Amino acid sequence: MIDYLVTIFTEGSIFAIMALGLNIVWGWSGDFDLAFYGYVALGAYMTLVLTVGPASSPTEYILGLTLPFPVAVLLATLSAMLLALIVGAIALRHLRGIYFSIVTLGAVYVLYILAGQFVPLFNGYNGLSGLVAPMGDVLGIDYSSYQFFYVALCMVMLTIVLFGVTRLSGSRFGLALRSLREDERAAAAFGRDIYILKLKAYVLGAGLGGFAGALFAGYLTAFNPSSWSPVETIILYAAILVGGRGSTRGVVLGVAVMVMGLQEATRYLPEIAGHPSFAPAFRLILTGIVLVVFIRFRPQGILPERRMRDGDPPGSPGTRPEPAPGPQPVTGPALETGAA
Amino acid sequence: MTALLEVRDLSKHFGGVYAVEDCSFSAAEGQVTGLIGPNGAGKSTAIDLMTGFKIPDAGTVLLDGTPIAGRPPHRISRLGLVRTFQSPREWPGLTVLENLVLAAWNGRRERFLRSLRGPTKKEKAAAADELVRARQILDELGLLGLRNERAGNLSGGQKRLVEFARIRMARPRLVILDEPMGGVNPVLGERMATAVLGFVAAGTSVIIVEHNLPFIERVTDQVVVMAAGTVIAQGPFDTLRSNQAVVDAYLGEMPTYDGADA
Repeated sequence: MIDYLVTIFTEGSIFAIMALGLNIVWGWSGDFDLAFYGYVALGAYMTLVLTVGPASSPTEYILGLTLPFPVAVLLATLSAMLLALIVGAIALRHLRGIYFSIVTLGAVYVLYILAGQFVPLFNGYNGLSGLVAPMGDVLGIDYSSYQFFYVALCMVMLTIVLFGVTRLSGSRFGLALRSLREDERAAAAFGRDIYILKLKAYVLGAGLGGFAGALFAGYLTAFNPSSWSPVETIILYAAILVGGRGSTRGVVLGVAVMVMGLQEATRYLPEIAGHPSFAPAFRLILTGIVLVVFIRFRPQGILPERRMRDGDPPGSPGTRPEPAPGPQPVTGPALETGAA
Repeated sequence: MTALLEVRDLSKHFGGVYAVEDCSFSAAEGQVTGLIGPNGAGKSTAIDLMTGFKIPDAGTVLLDGTPIAGRPPHRISRLGLVRTFQSPREWPGLTVLENLVLAAWNGRRERFLRSLRGPTKKEKAAAADELVRARQILDELGLLGLRNERAGNLSGGQKRLVEFARIRMARPRLVILDEPMGGVNPVLGERMATAVLGFVAAGTSVIIVEHNLPFIERVTDQVVVMAAGTVIAQGPFDTLRSNQAVVDAYLGEMPTYDGADA
């Protein structure tokens, strides 16, 4: 039971960091990025090639360094951000909406095919392995209790990320990104450099993706093309949409429901003889159904993005007694005709 | 009376169509300048060229002596020339008050690291002052009770007023209003006129594109008449009535005009 909880909280923390990153790109600045899981994968691959040491025949991969895990995580995060800077600089320049999405989809498939087919890069389809219990020996943690260390590490990282993201979300930077999502021409008319702002959000989001990927590599100890596919970005979108697009609390809840919840709910489905892929397929079907239900009945998600509520600080200029409390006809014509 | 905005020989063509050709006029500081002309005269294209949303093929635009033609929209906005659009472009998912707060651009405060660090005491005080100013502006325009409402939920006329409030908040040197009466209940006209004159009182000069001629007559000091991509006359509205070219191109159409352009 305790192992089970450890697994859930480790994976949940990692996926929550990913989803928070994607939420900056889609939830805040409004770009439907399909390359996102590519940054996660790059973070994982880079962590491995930076820590596991030189390749020995028949394996092949780049770098093959033995850097300390934290340094590798940092560099892996930076490499994901660098790739995002290149992809974003091209895709965000003039493309929006579906055109942007198609270009990012193209970019992630290039990475996917390269990782799988170009063996000298990340050892092709066999992938990379050998990152066992990172920092374990340095800290003197034995193998049996290592998982507790790692779950604590992931949860601390999630807490730090949550702290930063929450602060950014309510800041002027976060608000300016929302204005791009809502209407970028108006944002430009009021002084915002939409290209640079969107690029910042894109690189920042990809950085969180790469960081989550690096933690993922430490958790999985190995990474290869069968452990990820570009489609997984869609699962993260499902989590964000169900939780509440743009809402930090919502995204974490969305990951709990859509990624961890659905996975656990379908884990113990009866095996159907001759159809071993029934459970994973059923999970995807269930994801689709939940998604459709939410888009139809609650598109703002379970915990919608909160907007600023301005109370009346007593005595401050510009305020005056509100009309009687209770629902006001705010959209009706009362205001117009009354003022004429 | 000095020219705040000077447009010289501005030209733009799309394929073989000259939308704007050798267009020249000026707008004076502290005045309301009307820009009128029949549909297809090139008014909207001219606005896009002045504000950076389209790049001119030729010509110069000077904002208080600074050349701005060809610069990107955000740079022109930061230099003090802000525009509105033909249809209201509020930020619909944000509240009315947030719409106002965001209109006051402050590049330093929007920087990533500064935002991550959180506001200093001084910045908090500045933000509080800004909120007070936003509330005052909303109060003047009769929108205070709607400040926590999402701007997208407002009626068309209210959205126009939110746009006006944003301009008041941004305090540009010059604002270009693109058909502010479009789709607005004429009953709101007097309130809109007061708001336009309020800009001038607050130190923002105005260029206004509008088909509602009584409104133009009411608020403008100068009127620029465009037809077929070029300026055919400039002067106070009264003098244009006797200008045969203007009557032929535009005013002659007046009898059928009901002022409810959409």
